Amino acid sequence: MWKHSAIGLVIVLGILGNLVARAQSEPPALPAGPMQEKATTACTECHESRIIVQQRLSKAAWTKEVDKMTKWGAVVDPKDRDSLIDYLSANFGPDRPAYVPDRSTPFPARK
Amino acid sequence: MLALLDIVMTSRRTFFKAAAGATLAAWTANPLWTWAADANSELVLPGKDSLIVRSYRFVDLETPVEYFNTWLTPVPRFFVRNHMHEPIVLGADDWTLSVGGEVEKPFSISLPDLSKLEKHSVVNTLECAGNGRGLQSPKVPGIQWGKGAVGNARYGGVRLRDLLQRAGVKSSGKHVMFRGMDEIPGNVPPFIRSIPIEKALDEDTLVALEMNGATLTKDHGFPARALVPGWIGAASCKWLSEVRVLDQEFVGNFMSPGYRLPNQPVKPGEAVKPEETHPVTSLRVKSLIAAPRDGSQVNSRTLPIQGVAWAGEAEISRVEVSTDGGSTWHLAQLGHDKARYAWRLWTHKWKAPKGGEYIVMSRATDSQGRTQPATAGWNPSGYLNNAIDQVKIHVEA
Repeated sequence: MWKHSAIGLVIVLGILGNLVARAQSEPPALPAGPMQEKATTACTECHESRIIVQQRLSKAAWTKEVDKMTKWGAVVDPKDRDSLIDYLSANFGPDRPAYVPDRSTPFPARK
Repeated sequence: MLALLDIVMTSRRTFFKAAAGATLAAWTANPLWTWAADANSELVLPGKDSLIVRSYRFVDLETPVEYFNTWLTPVPRFFVRNHMHEPIVLGADDWTLSVGGEVEKPFSISLPDLSKLEKHSVVNTLECAGNGRGLQSPKVPGIQWGKGAVGNARYGGVRLRDLLQRAGVKSSGKHVMFRGMDEIPGNVPPFIRSIPIEKALDEDTLVALEMNGATLTKDHGFPARALVPGWIGAASCKWLSEVRVLDQEFVGNFMSPGYRLPNQPVKPGEAVKPEETHPVTSLRVKSLIAAPRDGSQVNSRTLPIQGVAWAGEAEISRVEVSTDGGSTWHLAQLGHDKARYAWRLWTHKWKAPKGGEYIVMSRATDSQGRTQPATAGWNPSGYLNNAIDQVKIHVEA
């Protein structure tokens, strides 16, 4: 009984916690462009945008990534493939400025 | 609340910031929406302290190098590398570990029964194979780790070989596979890897249940993880559910093409044929400078230069420091704390001859005579970057 109540509490807190988490940790929006919406849908279904925006890859490397991710389940319409590769290459190519990552907040040590 | 969390794990996607007692207190004191709005710009990771967020979904957190000033890295400051999502719900009561494959007597074991077996602990420096990938040029895809996807902790658990001996490994058993319970998105291949039977039977290879004397947190693989000492982090599969003895290396994405190095040096940017690669196993000799920090202004001409050095399955023989951009080198003093697979702290007292800009470097040499290179060989996945470390500082006159 106690265990079930406890699990229920965790689930309720989880739903609330998720709302808070989203408010606090929103990853950056992908940059504006003709493929912004489709890239967001295709890529961030499985992982957040930070994984994309930290990359600095050539067009050849982006092509391999897009094809790999499509094989792994990213929903990319075949007619959008080349545009998506162009979009990622243009925004996250080797010549772009260095990416500066976020830091999490200090947190007391957990015993 | 914390004890409860140790029993019930949920994915960060469905459950997250509720973990801390402090957070609960905040909830009772403030309406939720107000509290959330106030904290809008903050990235709170319960149980983690000021880490570099390479990714949050999935969780990939890096330790800032200035934290590397203790022999054991506290869990809140220990890096996290997840390949995919954490298991959604994991009850310790329901969890079992199965041991099977090329064995005489396959079995499953519960957490309470596993906990009753003979305990063994190993202090091990765990480093992600991709640590330093972001410092390679040209850039390669993957988490763009800086220097801090590494840490040193005491892992407690049971010897994997005790489990394998209980099952009775057949003569056909050549490799041991670990399956994690990572929640797999889309059609991503499951996170399964294998290690050779010799390493699996090593007295220090563990099914670990504890980290620094406490129950594993979910970030680090609760309730159980493999611990393959001296090897890349990916060998030490988290959220372990299955140990399977195989007659050959496991065939799957995270064994090939993942986690492989070219057999021969390659030119930066060059493609490598899969058949001309081998699995990444042991870590390489490497050192990091924890203090002074890169880019810092130092207001005293006398200062300690400090850091850590490790060498996978080998020992650290020496660490040298240069303060003139690599022209001359001076032996650093190694810390007293040591263990077979653990890093050594090191320190070098230095007096700058005058104020100005300095490039401070560290290089380690291991017990097999291998020394860190000036630049690490480029490879297509950015693995095992063990180049000599360096920081640039300004000393006030």
